[in-house]
Amino acid sequence: MNNQQMELKIGWLYPTLMSTYGDRGNVICIQQRAQWHGFNVQVIPLDLQASVTEIHQVDLLVGGGAQDRQQEIVMRDLKGAKATALREKIEAGTPGVFTCGAPQLLGHYYEPALGQRIEGLGLFDFVSKHPGIDAKRCIGNVIFEITASKLAEELTALLGKPPVIIGFENHGGRTYLGKVEALGKVISGYGNNGEDGMEGAFYHNAIATYSHGPVLPKNPFLADWLIKTALQQKYQTNVELQLLDDRLAMQAREAMFKKLGVSELAA
Amino acid sequence: MTLVDRKDGVVKINLVDQLRLSVAVSTANTITYIIRSLKLGAASVLPGEIASRIQPRILSLLSRQVKYGVIMIAGTNGKTTTSRLLRKMLENQGWRVVHNEAGANLENGLATALIERTNLFGKLKADYAILEVDENVIPKVLPKIQPKFILCLNLFRDQLDRYGEVDTISQRWSKAIAPLPPDTVVIANADDPTLSHLGQNLTQKVLFFGLSEPQYYLDEIPHAVDSIYCPSCGESLNYQGVYLSHLGDFDCPNCGFKKSKVNIDSSKWPQILIGLYNKYNTLAATLLAQQIGVAESVILETIKTFEAAFGRAEELEISGKKVRILLAKNPVGMNETIRTVNEIKKAGGASTTLMVLNDRIPDGTDVSWIWDVDTEKLVASGGNIVVSGDRVYDMALRIKYSQTNGNNGCKLIVKEDLSEAIATALEHTPVGETLHILPTYSAMLEVRGLLTGKQIL
Repeated sequence: MNNQQMELKIGWLYPTLMSTYGDRGNVICIQQRAQWHGFNVQVIPLDLQASVTEIHQVDLLVGGGAQDRQQEIVMRDLKGAKATALREKIEAGTPGVFTCGAPQLLGHYYEPALGQRIEGLGLFDFVSKHPGIDAKRCIGNVIFEITASKLAEELTALLGKPPVIIGFENHGGRTYLGKVEALGKVISGYGNNGEDGMEGAFYHNAIATYSHGPVLPKNPFLADWLIKTALQQKYQTNVELQLLDDRLAMQAREAMFKKLGVSELAA
Repeated sequence: MTLVDRKDGVVKINLVDQLRLSVAVSTANTITYIIRSLKLGAASVLPGEIASRIQPRILSLLSRQVKYGVIMIAGTNGKTTTSRLLRKMLENQGWRVVHNEAGANLENGLATALIERTNLFGKLKADYAILEVDENVIPKVLPKIQPKFILCLNLFRDQLDRYGEVDTISQRWSKAIAPLPPDTVVIANADDPTLSHLGQNLTQKVLFFGLSEPQYYLDEIPHAVDSIYCPSCGESLNYQGVYLSHLGDFDCPNCGFKKSKVNIDSSKWPQILIGLYNKYNTLAATLLAQQIGVAESVILETIKTFEAAFGRAEELEISGKKVRILLAKNPVGMNETIRTVNEIKKAGGASTTLMVLNDRIPDGTDVSWIWDVDTEKLVASGGNIVVSGDRVYDMALRIKYSQTNGNNGCKLIVKEDLSEAIATALEHTPVGETLHILPTYSAMLEVRGLLTGKQIL
């Protein structure tokens, strides 16, 4: 089977409600790269009107950040059959990248600064809390090394060195992990809560992270890993990706490492 | 304890307050003098800060002396342009106006502007004060200043790292306006659902401006929208059409909330500068000027002769080539700017665009917003795109990911160095065409400094 015969269906969770922080960039990045790799691509918006069938047919999930009120609207919608469908997808190993508000929804609950606790799907074993309206937001450039064992192993094999992610975090809520594996360890920045040095979470093939920016364009290897994993899962065959011209991304990374005084090799 | 009271139109202040006020004003004036003579900057913030420490009630004591009252201008985009237009209208009518024209719109900036027009006895002489106020500062200054007019232009997502969320801001505004006297006049954008809703729920006199010209509808709702959900019940709003971002003609199929009836006919008035944005700014200033009693002929004349503030659609001429600087600091602003540039491109008047992205405090340190901009549209119209700024590679990546096979041969040129970027962009602009520069705030100051050979103070 060649690349032109494969099709990647990207499921974009609540594009009109959860797009506060440029996270559409992740969708654009996956979509464009998959096309450059020669695959057919379809982006399926999973908005309030989306059906359970639509959730079932996607190969890869992308979710972004939201304002607190929008987040509540999402949670009212993401119940019953829809919640079950999403849970089944992730448990079955459908890869996904969930940033900012999205991971808060995948945990047990999120306590906003004002108003009531928002119950999550409980897929990831973590809780998120906002420490109060006057508490400082965690804002700034963030660098972390991926440590989640399976992902770290596969990416290290691909890159020939430990995978380091560059992003920007901007979150009021703090996340505390239970038994779930952290995505990585923070080199520079706050991470999940600014206390335990951990960033994000990794469960099956789903990535939860506070790193937006958006995260994928400056970390293209992660985008390629998502594409490859999604298609291998779908077609049950080995998928090889050719190298793309990522010089601009590498220059962007170097500029950020320099700015933050972090050496990539030392990281 | 009332320290200030109005009797026979004269403001009386007790002696201690009076003394502190005088000391505060003279200290502030000295600081301004030092800063300016040493060319340290514009002195638009520090004098007010020091003065507020000496007389913490300075904002209240000074603003109450403005003869006919304070006009407060709030909104994410268009504050500076609208304030300048309104100021010109009032001045052309013959009134003396004090205005924080340097755009310093936090508390200390407001105080500095008022002090500039105050004598050593603490007496301020002005018929009107026009104060552009930062959206987050509104709740803090409203109790102190008690404006006669409040103009709410729009609420978009701006700098997430500073402001958080549109919903929160509008709730704070509405809470802060509620206790103001019933004769306060609020002028709000009817096309902005959040502000329409805010206006409909106030007890004060509220007037609305907005567009009523479906020929300007966009073909589709752009991505960078903030509020397409009913601010009253949370249902999806039904749009008959969108003018820009989430501004448009709308109603709620669930609770019946809809766009407020406008008090000005948009089709009857000319506009300043270019772009739909400035149509909104013109309507806002015009409606307010009408309320105050500026003659229609004066309003019309002011609109026709209006020139842009620096960086706001300002035009310069550099070695025979026209350069237009269009401040682009958030997704909505940049989308609208791209729309304007594309119209000029289509007419053959432009082919090269320079985008300068910085991530300093006044720009917002979070540059992720560029992914909410529909840069695909700028790429699709072809030509050259030169990128520069502190985050040049972030901008370059955004443009790279906007390129598809059908991108009309749009060429991306990456230049870390800003002077080099400007020179390259000018080289790529034939005589007779206009080079469009789209900078963030601090980048705009740098670009302008380089182009005019002098730094802005």
